[in-house]
Amino acid sequence: MKIGIMSFAHLHAHAYVDAIRQMPGVELIGVADSDLSRGQAAADQAETKLFPTFEALLESDVDGVVITAANADHRRLTEMAAAAGKHILCEKPIATSLEDARAMEKAVKEAGVKFQMAFPCRFIPAVQNLKRQYDHGGLGRVVLIRSTNRGKMPGGFFVEPELSGGGAVIDHTVHIVDLVRWIFQTEIVEVYAEIDRHFHDIPTEDCGLLTMELANGAFMTLDPSWSRPDDFYTWGDVYLKVVGTNAVSEVDMMRQSLERIGAGKPNYEWDFWGSNSDYYLVKEFVDSFREDREPSITAADGIKALEVAAAAYESGKTKAPVRLR
Amino acid sequence: MKVGIVGLGTMGTTHAAGYQSVAGAKLVAVADIQPNRSHAVAERYGVRSYATLAEMLEAEDLDVVDVCLPTFLHRQAVEMAAAAGKHVFCEKPLALTPEDAKAMVDACRKAGVTLGVGHVVRFFPEYQKAKTVLAAGEMGKIGTVYMYRGGGGFPTAWQDWYARHEWSGGIVLDLMIHDLDFLLWTMGDVERVFAKSTWRRDYGRMEHALVSLRFANGVIGNVEGTWLPLESFKTEFEFAGTNGLLSHSSAHAVSFKSHQLQTPGEAGPQGVTVPRSPVTRSPYSLELEHFIDCLHKGVEPIINGEAGLRAVTLVAAAQKSIETGKPVGLERG
Repeated sequence: MKIGIMSFAHLHAHAYVDAIRQMPGVELIGVADSDLSRGQAAADQAETKLFPTFEALLESDVDGVVITAANADHRRLTEMAAAAGKHILCEKPIATSLEDARAMEKAVKEAGVKFQMAFPCRFIPAVQNLKRQYDHGGLGRVVLIRSTNRGKMPGGFFVEPELSGGGAVIDHTVHIVDLVRWIFQTEIVEVYAEIDRHFHDIPTEDCGLLTMELANGAFMTLDPSWSRPDDFYTWGDVYLKVVGTNAVSEVDMMRQSLERIGAGKPNYEWDFWGSNSDYYLVKEFVDSFREDREPSITAADGIKALEVAAAAYESGKTKAPVRLR
Repeated sequence: MKVGIVGLGTMGTTHAAGYQSVAGAKLVAVADIQPNRSHAVAERYGVRSYATLAEMLEAEDLDVVDVCLPTFLHRQAVEMAAAAGKHVFCEKPLALTPEDAKAMVDACRKAGVTLGVGHVVRFFPEYQKAKTVLAAGEMGKIGTVYMYRGGGGFPTAWQDWYARHEWSGGIVLDLMIHDLDFLLWTMGDVERVFAKSTWRRDYGRMEHALVSLRFANGVIGNVEGTWLPLESFKTEFEFAGTNGLLSHSSAHAVSFKSHQLQTPGEAGPQGVTVPRSPVTRSPYSLELEHFIDCLHKGVEPIINGEAGLRAVTLVAAAQKSIETGKPVGLERG
């Protein structure tokens, strides 16, 4: 199976490169990037070739592509890849507007190619534990959830609204919303959000707090802020506390880290040793076309998560809860 | 200052112990409608005991009445003490409603007595340290804050009064007011509150709530409280500012640990709870000492009646949001 990377605008591309290179039966046949020097550096690092254009990559015998461009470019590249009959693994969020996201869903459906959203958190073992516990009744009915997905301010296209579609809220909300929808097989039905910019001099928001009602009767809060300082001891967190009628469970993925003192910059760091969820995300993508089946994370999942982020922005403006259909 | 305590539940007995190390104060009397409670405390500290506040006021020449009754009885007791010309220290929350709290503040002002409220968290050393660091601007401009309190299980008390919302006000008023008061103290006025609770949704009495706060200075706050019986009671906070993070978890603030290998003999320390984070002075002693000191000096205590009213007002807004499902705006105090 031959995979190519479309753009290194999103730094996550490097993690996917590593995953592809480790995977038996899978070959990284090259990369393409609108920024040729960035593309060349990435190709050199990955010991692969740089295609001069996205078109050139798509004209090759590549089976599938990973789209890690700026959010606003997801639609254009998805439509190009679909038209070329290539399978697609698309970085989150699916797009910067629901209109674009729905057009992407239509394009891949019409082209008959596989399309998977990159929600790697579904492959965190602690998250899968939580899902198993819920599926087997160990949690009982879910009553409430408190969650955080906080990080450092990423810079780059992330803080340019026309490329990213928004700041911390769109960046982090989609991860947790996807987890909650997937684990508990439910939907977000109402969103209230406080959104602001407090930490950085950037054009987008960098912090917020979402309070949501779920179709299963539970309520939850989500802190998606870029509130970790630049010298924070790791990149951020993925934290879920689920209060059920039978149990209270917590997922705190970054706790699987060594504490490192004095041997790095900053002086105190966490060195993550937990499992590589990116690897299993890419494997699911490859397996979907190897086995010719739907990937487990679809465009519809990407759209649902984006709807919640869009509702959060609307609530932040109107200062009122927003109902979702 | 001669002090009488009315209400000898958990807080009343804690205050009785607290006064023993407060300079300038002498506990002289206690009152409780349950004779076994009042007699036990009276015997322990060598003070007189009464069944009611009215009897205690009648028989004693008190300077201070310390009100540790269930919340729904606060107003009546505070107004009675004020009318008798006594300074009043009232356990938190000051009252069930802002209307009651306002009436109590007015009654004390009119009587010319000082009213203090027991928001003891302001006297816990970890919270005092945080206040100092925040006030000095060391964390830069604060953007977001999270506070947590709970997990110790449902409070057991006289007539199970915590379980009756109309008597205790539920978890936001009874427990989360600690953190809400601390945030009013450190972050200032709240502009808007949005809140969700399991009350009338799940769990019955073991309420769990999540509160979203927007402060006048723009700070976004998330406060969580639970009466669920989790592994142990825990408090946590994190203030995220432009200069970094200031955080605390009582789960990590453990300076003493002991695991019993064998059951000690009859002479052993069975049934003694050992604090996992011992400090030399109890925060309860410190809050009472501050109040007594203010009375001696004739100055306002840092948590006066207005501060107690401000916290109850914020709670009422959160309760309204829980009931209506809508955000609730507050006027700047």
